[in-house]
Amino acid sequence: MSLAESIEQLPEQKHASYSFAFIDEGAKREIRRQTLKAVAIPGYQVPFGSRDMPVARGWGTGGLQLTLSLIGPDDMLKVIDQGSDDSVNAVNIRKFIERVTSVNTTTDTEKASVIQTRHRIPEEHLKDGQILIFQVPIPEPLRDVEPSERETRRMHAEADYSRMWLFLYEDIVKYNQITIGSRYPVMVGGRYIMDPSPIPRWDIPRLHMGDALFLFGAGREKRIYAIPPHTTVEPLEFDDHRFNVEDFTDKVCMRCGSENTYLDELVDDATGKRIYTCSDTAYCEKAARQKGLLNG
Amino acid sequence: MLIKNPILTATNLTKRYGPGCAKCLEQTGPDYGRNQCPVCGTVIACAGVDLAIHPQEVLGVVGESGSGKSTVIKMLHFDIDADDGHVGLHTGKIETDNRVRNQNVLKFSSFGKRQIRNAVMGIVYQNPHLGLRMNISAGGNIAERLLMAGWRNVGDMRKRSAMLLDKTEVPISRMDEAPRNFSGGMQQRVQIAKALSNEPVLLLLDEVTTGLDVSVQARVLDLIRKLQQEMDVATLVVSHDLGVIRMLTTRTMVMKNGRVVEAGLTDQILEDPQHPYTQLLVSSALH
Ligand SMILES: Nc1ncnc2c1ncn2[C@@H]1O[C@H](COP(=O)(O)OP(=O)(O)OP(=O)(O)O)[C@@H](O)[C@H]1O
Ligand SMILES: [Mg+2]
Ligand SMILES: [Zn+2]
Repeated sequence: MSLAESIEQLPEQKHASYSFAFIDEGAKREIRRQTLKAVAIPGYQVPFGSRDMPVARGWGTGGLQLTLSLIGPDDMLKVIDQGSDDSVNAVNIRKFIERVTSVNTTTDTEKASVIQTRHRIPEEHLKDGQILIFQVPIPEPLRDVEPSERETRRMHAEADYSRMWLFLYEDIVKYNQITIGSRYPVMVGGRYIMDPSPIPRWDIPRLHMGDALFLFGAGREKRIYAIPPHTTVEPLEFDDHRFNVEDFTDKVCMRCGSENTYLDELVDDATGKRIYTCSDTAYCEKAARQKGLLNG
Repeated sequence: MLIKNPILTATNLTKRYGPGCAKCLEQTGPDYGRNQCPVCGTVIACAGVDLAIHPQEVLGVVGESGSGKSTVIKMLHFDIDADDGHVGLHTGKIETDNRVRNQNVLKFSSFGKRQIRNAVMGIVYQNPHLGLRMNISAGGNIAERLLMAGWRNVGDMRKRSAMLLDKTEVPISRMDEAPRNFSGGMQQRVQIAKALSNEPVLLLLDEVTTGLDVSVQARVLDLIRKLQQEMDVATLVVSHDLGVIRMLTTRTMVMKNGRVVEAGLTDQILEDPQHPYTQLLVSSALH
């Protein structure tokens, strides 16, 4: 059964026997407790008892459980997948949350109080009071250098991160640059190395000293972690090999004309030329409208 | 001769494998020719070992296979936990000395032990797989120790790695190659470069030439001797080979069945061994 079908079969919350936001109150309390712990120890992965969701694990169940345990009837929800409000996944997750909570939804980043996302941070600056909830496939930033969970826990506990640094060193030796595209490891609060989820490097600087609360949920691996507002978030870099974001010099969005957004590259079927559009579709539309490029 | 405080003072180092019983210690050792307790089956890998290493000194530990030499060195490097014993340090590196002052470092947390190890120790194992990451470049293996010490400039780390590889006679052109492809002698020389990267106060060498061809052995031994003279680093040399002990060390401890049977100046021990076991060792080495 597809997610869309299972959503159709769920009775609306106001007529239903299940709790507000689907998850029972005991489970919500547990997730909130672990979330508080995560906020208290920025960048530290807190285990939680991940529940079965009507979505297959690996499809954002961690983020979904965070959203459902935190959202209240007065919240305004936005859901994006790789920057888009309209992709099948974003639509399904939004519909599901709508159905089990009856909260209002929006595509406008500014108006949203809770934003669930996969692989992007919205372009517009997130403000105090907003919560951005990331869906995380692999919460352990050290997994690629150390397969053993026991050992990675020890490495975090002792801040023994030389293996991660060595990985970056070897990358530079081989390729003369750090080749990590997404999931770029960051140091949070000067203490824990954290996996920021598969966001592009473009989004990394926007985690640093933010005004909003960033929460990360991994359903399959049962981990929650957080970056509270005004926390330092530093990408790992060497003095002589600095971190840098994707380079979009001389490229503009063909829809809205923005020159300072993260762009998706497409190949125009007709001309065979590369064209670029904002990955954040809601922002793109807003910008286009403001410039009079769109009607209505 | 000026007697300085020892860098490291160990007393009663003891390691057993097994449940242990009241008879373990009295029923094992050289008098019985065994290190396994006949009552409970526990192996007493070593017991009651005392040693002190002075600045710039080279101390040897010699003995047959299974006598407990590696056990001693691994406890000093915190690779394995001691069951009993006390280790005090006086390294001359202020930060470390402030941290360890008058304490038994064997009782430190694994975090504390690692900090000490990174700050003042270097080790070379018989098996290069223990000391090197075989799939990481030779330079990266050295850089790892520098990264542990907080280095964050790739160019600086490469300069230091190149200098150390040059010192240990590994062609710098092979710095970015993984040691997996290197000969045994070269792997040992990379291990030595890595061990020296943090300018250790104490260098631990466990059978560094065992398993190498005789000619390669000689080159590695020459290198170690040259480095000792250059760097004045206190060294513990563990070997079953009296030739290695003779060539490198000034003082020696002889171990058998997990106990020290004799200790003294290397020359004296080789010329005038007191313990029957040492006499046997020396006379068989001569033939
Ligand atoms: N993990 C272990 N479990 C059980 N026994 C062990 C273990 N490690 C070492 N031993 C035993 O402890 C004793 C001392 O071993 P150790 O490795 O210290 O000897 P060694 O003097 O270094 O010998 P070699 O010259 O062969 O390297 C041996 O009897 C060995 O079998
Ligand atoms: Mg040994
Ligand atoms: Zn655009």
